[in-house]
Amino acid sequence: MAKSTSKDAQALFHSLRSAYASTPTNLKIIDLYVGFAVFTALIQVVYMAVVGSFPFNSFLSGLLSCIGTAVLAVCLRIQVNKENKEFKDLAPERAFADFVLCNLVLHLVIMNFLG
Amino acid sequence: MVGKAEPVNGSVKSGSNQSIPATMQSPLKKSDLIPNLSLKTLKLKTKQQELLIRVSILCLVYVLAFITRLFSVLRYESMIHEFDPYFNYRTTLFLTEKGFYEFWNWFDSESWYPLGRIIGGTLYPGLMVTAAIIYWLLRFLRFAIHIREVCVLTAPFFASNTTLVAYFFGKEVWDSGAGLVAAALIAICPGYISRSVAGSYDNEGVAIFALLLTFYLFVKAVNTGSLAWALASAFAYFYMVSAWGGYVFIINLIPLYVLVLLITGRYSMRLYVAYNSMYVLGMLLAMQIRFVGFQHVQSGEHMAAMGVFFLLQVFFFLDWVKHLLSDTKLFQAFLRITVTTAIGVGAIALGVGMASGYISPWTGRFYSLLDPTYAKDHIPIIASVSEHQPTAWSSFMFDFHILLFLFPAGLYFCFKRLSDATIFIVMYGLTSMYFAGVMVRLILVATPAVCLISAIAVSATIKNLTLVARAKSKVTQTGSVRGSSSSKGSSKASLDQSQPFQRNGAIALLLGAFYLLSKYATHCTWVTSEAYSSPSIVLAARGAHGNRVIFDDYREAYFWLRKNTPPDAKVMSWWDYGYQITAMGNRTVIVDNNTWNNTHIATVGRAMSSYEDEAYEIMRSLDVDYVLVVFGGVTGYSSDDINKFLWMVRIGGGVFPVIKEPDYLVNGEYRVDKGAAPKMLNCLMYKLSYYRFGELTTEYGKPPGYDRARGVEIGNKDIKLEYLEEAFTTSNWIVRIYKVKPPNNRWERTMFHIYLGTVLRYHFQAMFHS
Amino acid sequence: MPKLALFLILIHFLPFLCTSFSPENPSSRRVLVLLDDLALKSSHSVYFKSLQSRGFELDFKLADDPKIGLQRYGQYLYDGLILFCPTTERFGGSIDLAAILDFVDSGHDLIIAADNNASDLIREIATECGVDFDEDPAAMVIDHTSYAVSETEGDHTLIASDDFIKSNVLLGSEKIEAPVLFQGIGHSLSPANSLVLKVLSASPSAYSANPKSKLSSPPSLTGSAISLVSILQARNNARILISGSLVMFSNRFFRSGVQKAGTPTKHEKSGNEQFLTELSKWVFHERGHLKAVNIQHHKDGEADEPSMYRINDDLVYSVEIYEWSGRSWEPYVADDVQVQFYMMSPYVLKNLSTDKKGRYFTAFKVPDVYGVFQFKVEYQRLGYTSLSLSKQIPVRPYRHNEYERFIPAAYPYYGAAFSMMAGFFIFTAVHLYNK
Repeated sequence: MAKSTSKDAQALFHSLRSAYASTPTNLKIIDLYVGFAVFTALIQVVYMAVVGSFPFNSFLSGLLSCIGTAVLAVCLRIQVNKENKEFKDLAPERAFADFVLCNLVLHLVIMNFLG
Repeated sequence: MVGKAEPVNGSVKSGSNQSIPATMQSPLKKSDLIPNLSLKTLKLKTKQQELLIRVSILCLVYVLAFITRLFSVLRYESMIHEFDPYFNYRTTLFLTEKGFYEFWNWFDSESWYPLGRIIGGTLYPGLMVTAAIIYWLLRFLRFAIHIREVCVLTAPFFASNTTLVAYFFGKEVWDSGAGLVAAALIAICPGYISRSVAGSYDNEGVAIFALLLTFYLFVKAVNTGSLAWALASAFAYFYMVSAWGGYVFIINLIPLYVLVLLITGRYSMRLYVAYNSMYVLGMLLAMQIRFVGFQHVQSGEHMAAMGVFFLLQVFFFLDWVKHLLSDTKLFQAFLRITVTTAIGVGAIALGVGMASGYISPWTGRFYSLLDPTYAKDHIPIIASVSEHQPTAWSSFMFDFHILLFLFPAGLYFCFKRLSDATIFIVMYGLTSMYFAGVMVRLILVATPAVCLISAIAVSATIKNLTLVARAKSKVTQTGSVRGSSSSKGSSKASLDQSQPFQRNGAIALLLGAFYLLSKYATHCTWVTSEAYSSPSIVLAARGAHGNRVIFDDYREAYFWLRKNTPPDAKVMSWWDYGYQITAMGNRTVIVDNNTWNNTHIATVGRAMSSYEDEAYEIMRSLDVDYVLVVFGGVTGYSSDDINKFLWMVRIGGGVFPVIKEPDYLVNGEYRVDKGAAPKMLNCLMYKLSYYRFGELTTEYGKPPGYDRARGVEIGNKDIKLEYLEEAFTTSNWIVRIYKVKPPNNRWERTMFHIYLGTVLRYHFQAMFHS
Repeated sequence: MPKLALFLILIHFLPFLCTSFSPENPSSRRVLVLLDDLALKSSHSVYFKSLQSRGFELDFKLADDPKIGLQRYGQYLYDGLILFCPTTERFGGSIDLAAILDFVDSGHDLIIAADNNASDLIREIATECGVDFDEDPAAMVIDHTSYAVSETEGDHTLIASDDFIKSNVLLGSEKIEAPVLFQGIGHSLSPANSLVLKVLSASPSAYSANPKSKLSSPPSLTGSAISLVSILQARNNARILISGSLVMFSNRFFRSGVQKAGTPTKHEKSGNEQFLTELSKWVFHERGHLKAVNIQHHKDGEADEPSMYRINDDLVYSVEIYEWSGRSWEPYVADDVQVQFYMMSPYVLKNLSTDKKGRYFTAFKVPDVYGVFQFKVEYQRLGYTSLSLSKQIPVRPYRHNEYERFIPAAYPYYGAAFSMMAGFFIFTAVHLYNK
């Protein structure tokens, strides 16, 4: 059972990798960005677990800035992905403008919340 | 349009009657209106005409919503109503005088003596900031207006804005016709008017606007999948959080909605975009409100939203992987692994959070929403508020009238044309109706939903009926009606031609609908003018000759306090009157309507239900200088302290077990006459309420000491006060103020242990000095 | 002409001369003495003389004089009242029980001497002051062990007591060597009243009964529960002396020698004069009268009194306490004055240190609790004026900008937030460039 699961996992990994290779570059960039944000978030969670959650607002704002960034980037990715039929009538420029706007708000609020 | 506006200005009643029919069937009305509009507009194209009519109707509804709420100003005066609004008014005054930062950091030492209250951190500042901004704006535009007027008119102003939002919401959910009807219905719906008449300067006034706006923008975001709308919805949510604690409804309804869409297989990328960005940004914004703070990540009530957020991530991830993988078998394996891990991690996180106390359990109010009997058994302080009682059927009828019958019809139409938006409105309607059944005051939250769904019913029905009626008329009197007949209508008409009485039936039904709607308008106007425009700080009653008698005792008493007591005097009263005493009397109170400290309230409850000497000790320990009680025995005013007294006993007994409810009852019956319990007849509240009342003849043909509020002759007419003295009683005896005497100059009558302590102390001192 | 000028000047000072009892000069000056019989004036002249020699103006009146009154036009005419009229059933003029109680409650001093056969009026006054005389009108205090030895054996109602309260403030610093002679009715202190104190109590073997009749039932008052002389200091610091014996104030008792039964020493002179004179000094505020002035508090390092403190502020509290010496205000020196920082219960309780010039001060940190606090000084010492000072002051929490701005432990979070921002800019550039 365990063997078959690990074999499955390997096969899964391989097919995922091959499928992902065909993703357009701009989406890959977004994925990288999301990955960076999630990684930073994880570091903070680990740090919080070690040090304690004393400046809780700082922790939250740090974490939420990462999560917010990731979520917004994923939304952008969905919207600019040409394969998604739902967003055909949404221009990528418009999507990006929305994205920038949301990010501005996000970071402004984070700045207010950080201290 | 000029001709149309006239009746509205002339009389609210006829205006409301007419504007509704006008709204609900724009195609029909249009033909009537065109002769009125005459030459000038004749050239307008159909589309433009429709737009013009729509805008005019909206304007009329906007004005109507405002002026129908002015009854209270006309009948009484421009004043703040009720209890909580006085606190809001006081804080707004402070905000406009001292500025935002002082307001934000305000530590109020005048309430909750001696604990004090951090005002800035324990209120929803949205209302005050809104009023202050309006005030500053008007000042900037050189309108010399007093802040009180702004406060009085804030709620009607926002009610008007709500009609606009209702229009757009209705348009988004159904069509513009339904939007117009929704706007008209909500403009005069008593369920909403009850909390938004002029002078009712309370959080709900702006919060319903914010609530509906949030929902509208969220539905818009789901429909378009646009980040910008989601952002707007997050801002609306922020405004809602800043204005009212009812935001918890939003933060639970939206995840529930998302969950339902997920389960019914309606998950879409648009939903993902709308919910996630709205949640993250909304949560971040909401955390800026000090009163809410970290609750979004710590309190149990907000966990649903967070759970759905993570669920959506998992869902999205799976979807993405599924998209990448072509092999279904591989995906099955992957699914198994991820789902098990996700559920495991989620459960562990929740369990750890709950166990460590990091995630606070649900609050009592929330519990009592889910289980209506919870408050009665566990939290008397919540159960004691009349607003928190389960709703009576009659008050549904009173507040919704025909909407109550239109609501199921609207649900039917929604189910018939199921979309993301209609699912939302259906869920909003059903959940809020449930909550409205649990708590009277949540009728307010249900009102917009009920109006919207009913509007769908009205709009859809009338549209169908007019189509039928007009299709026939087209056949019989072709050419008399100009334009505007839709292709759909004509096709339907040709189909239905076989049924001979259909047209007459349709017209009859139309007339019936008109009749119902005009009844609704009449009812709303009547309710507004009779029931919901009373400020409750000034009481009105009918005199013996049918004339109106005004009892202005509250203000009389508060101004007496303001003028005749030392500025640092502490006034003890039941918490209902705390806000009014601080706002109007400008004196320190022990407890007020912000019921954050149950023990403190219980202490006051205990003092009120103890014998005078025990109460004196409690009052001394709280430095009480004056005691204020509200008494309706002379006027027959029934919501006085004697009728609230059992709650004082219950709340006091909940913390101090020496106070036992059965001591005040006789065979489970609460009475104040000769048959009353001895403890009842001698407790402080009874003594203060009925002091010297035994000498007074209140009604002809009745013995002296006849209590008109309870219709009995009181049981203890010979009341002597030892530790308090009467300081002031208002002209109708509604408010009675007593002064707490200083301790006797030559005597130290204290409870025994204190006495013993003093004796010992003296003995020790004697030893030291020798 | 100069005489007239002098007169005019004096006229201007008249109000000051008249209002002799004032916070600035707390000793009573004008005393009304109500007597049963004007003969008392001469039979108790030593006591009165000692008062007069200390500057008191005594106004002797018969108790049933119809012209007597304590106040006129709302102003009290006297600062003190001596009731040497144990048998009076009704006062003349406008004086009655309520008038006397009002007199005390507005801060004036009172000396009551009762006797056996004391009238109901006197008993009632005493009862209102927390003292209950033996209900039997004929009862006297009898003591078969510590009576005063006299020529005739007698019925042992003449008692020699030396069971004084131990207080220098009440009885002066000089020890009273000789026992005090007492003959009269005994009383007990009301248990509900903790303000009243025994100054001279009977010995454990004393009891209160009618000496002429046989003891049929156990006496109601026995032993050291019997008080012979009691004092009461009211909350407003009015002082009251109650004695069960009028004759103990008399010249006869003042001058007579005393020998307590069972003791070999025979004193030339009884302790009555010293005891009662010293006690009258206390009653008329010549001793043990304190005042507290100039209460100040401010933040450490500042001079002005703020309207509100913040939690964890350092503050300085000071108060000046003086004692009236009979002629002038002298600094009061003690090491047991305490200040409380009080809200429902004392959060801070500190001893005040003194500079021996009357000023008491201390410094402490405001507790980490917000609310409406009070600076409370409750100073109640035997014989001294009770000082009860309280001053309300709110304590607020930190303002939003008073917290620490940058916390080292939070630097990674700052870093994360800023790196996200930087990441956003880079991403924007890359994304746009890539297109």
